[in-house]
Amino acid sequence: MKMLATCALALLLLSLESVIVQKLGWSVTRIDVTVAIIAFLALRANTGEGAVSSFVTGYLLDLLSGRYTGLYTFLAVFLFILGKLVASLVDVRSGFTFALYAMGGDVVHVLLSVLLSWLTAKEAVGAGAILSSLPLQVLLTGVAAWALYPLLRRLDRGDNRPQLGTLR
Amino acid sequence: MLSLIKRYRDLILVAGLLLFPFFTFVTRGPSGRKPMLVDRAVLSVSSYVQGAFGWVLDGTVSVWRGYVALRGVEAENRGLREENQALKMKAQEQAGLIVENERLCALSTYADKHPGLKVVARVVGVDPSSTRHFVRINRGESDGVTAGMAVVTPDGVAGYVERATSGWADVILITDATHRMGVRTERTRARAIAAGTGGKTDLELRLDYALRKDDYQEGDVIVTSGTDGVYPADLQVGTISRVEARGSAMFRAGSIHPAVDPTKLEEVLVLPKVVVPAPASAKDSQVTPGTPGTAGAGVP
Repeated sequence: MKMLATCALALLLLSLESVIVQKLGWSVTRIDVTVAIIAFLALRANTGEGAVSSFVTGYLLDLLSGRYTGLYTFLAVFLFILGKLVASLVDVRSGFTFALYAMGGDVVHVLLSVLLSWLTAKEAVGAGAILSSLPLQVLLTGVAAWALYPLLRRLDRGDNRPQLGTLR
Repeated sequence: MLSLIKRYRDLILVAGLLLFPFFTFVTRGPSGRKPMLVDRAVLSVSSYVQGAFGWVLDGTVSVWRGYVALRGVEAENRGLREENQALKMKAQEQAGLIVENERLCALSTYADKHPGLKVVARVVGVDPSSTRHFVRINRGESDGVTAGMAVVTPDGVAGYVERATSGWADVILITDATHRMGVRTERTRARAIAAGTGGKTDLELRLDYALRKDDYQEGDVIVTSGTDGVYPADLQVGTISRVEARGSAMFRAGSIHPAVDPTKLEEVLVLPKVVVPAPASAKDSQVTPGTPGTAGAGVP
């Protein structure tokens, strides 16, 4: 149920973001709402459920990015695993710390996506433009994460929070 | 084997979820794969969601632009309207100044051509009655303006000062019913009297005492004769607009169209009094100096 709700929320947020981007005409900068969801999953969900939810979230991002390449699906699951690793080292209990956590995840997400895209097609990646807009994108993602935190907590209050440790 | 899978279930799941998209990405590259049935279904759902969000956003923006954002427009509109009015007033003032400048230039040119003491005056009022034709000017005795002085414009004769105080003077216009002036035609120098008719709409002058034997034609320019003790000679009065054919009477009647439109006077020149030399003999005198401008004063 939580997994379905998370996927539905991802679909809603991605659709909303795509409409806003289209209306406002932002060409490069966007808000990585999926990173905020994956970060939350890394903090609260158990491995199996979180991995599947992250997969679906990444898949939606891949689809709504125009063409299914598998890149964002892979990165979503990878980020989830990485997030679980980091979650064993940090204690995230407020909106502000969650925003910082999501911002860190967004930096990794962007850098990895640029790197992997560059590895497969050097000429097809506007790495300069993406990296120059990275600070703003990360900041906006942090703001979105801070705003989404209360909503995400409704999905999982953290009562049966998984024990710390990767892939446990 | 089953227990092994069960034990590492999460690990196997995660590995599968990682490897499947990774191999898709590696094998297909940035061009990706063609959308499958699941992709199409998800895209279809997401397009509905996007459509709904778009509709809500458009509606919100429309409401904002149509109502909320227009809150300050009325005040802005009022301000712009006031600014527009002020600019229009300024433009009218500028236009008026240009026209006034042209008139003053014409007056200055006229004054240069006719040497002697002159006082430039501005018309500050017109007669409130329906029977008189006079205007009030803003120059009086303190400026050297006294009763009996001729008042002219660059176009021609306007009238004479009937009375003056220290700061202002009343000017009887040539169209007033009591006004008379000695004139002559510029072409033939034939004399006559130009009399005001007092009409409010018909501002023509009456041509009186035009001798039957003299040559008067419509279109002839009429100038002052200088014999009435008020106006200097050869100031333009107007043109003959109508003249009776020669008959058996001693004089011919006619009309003069004044050169000056008395309804449009704004700046005028007040000329010094004419000094009429004393007649050497009664026979030579053709002017009967009387009260200037009164009916019957002066004979051509």
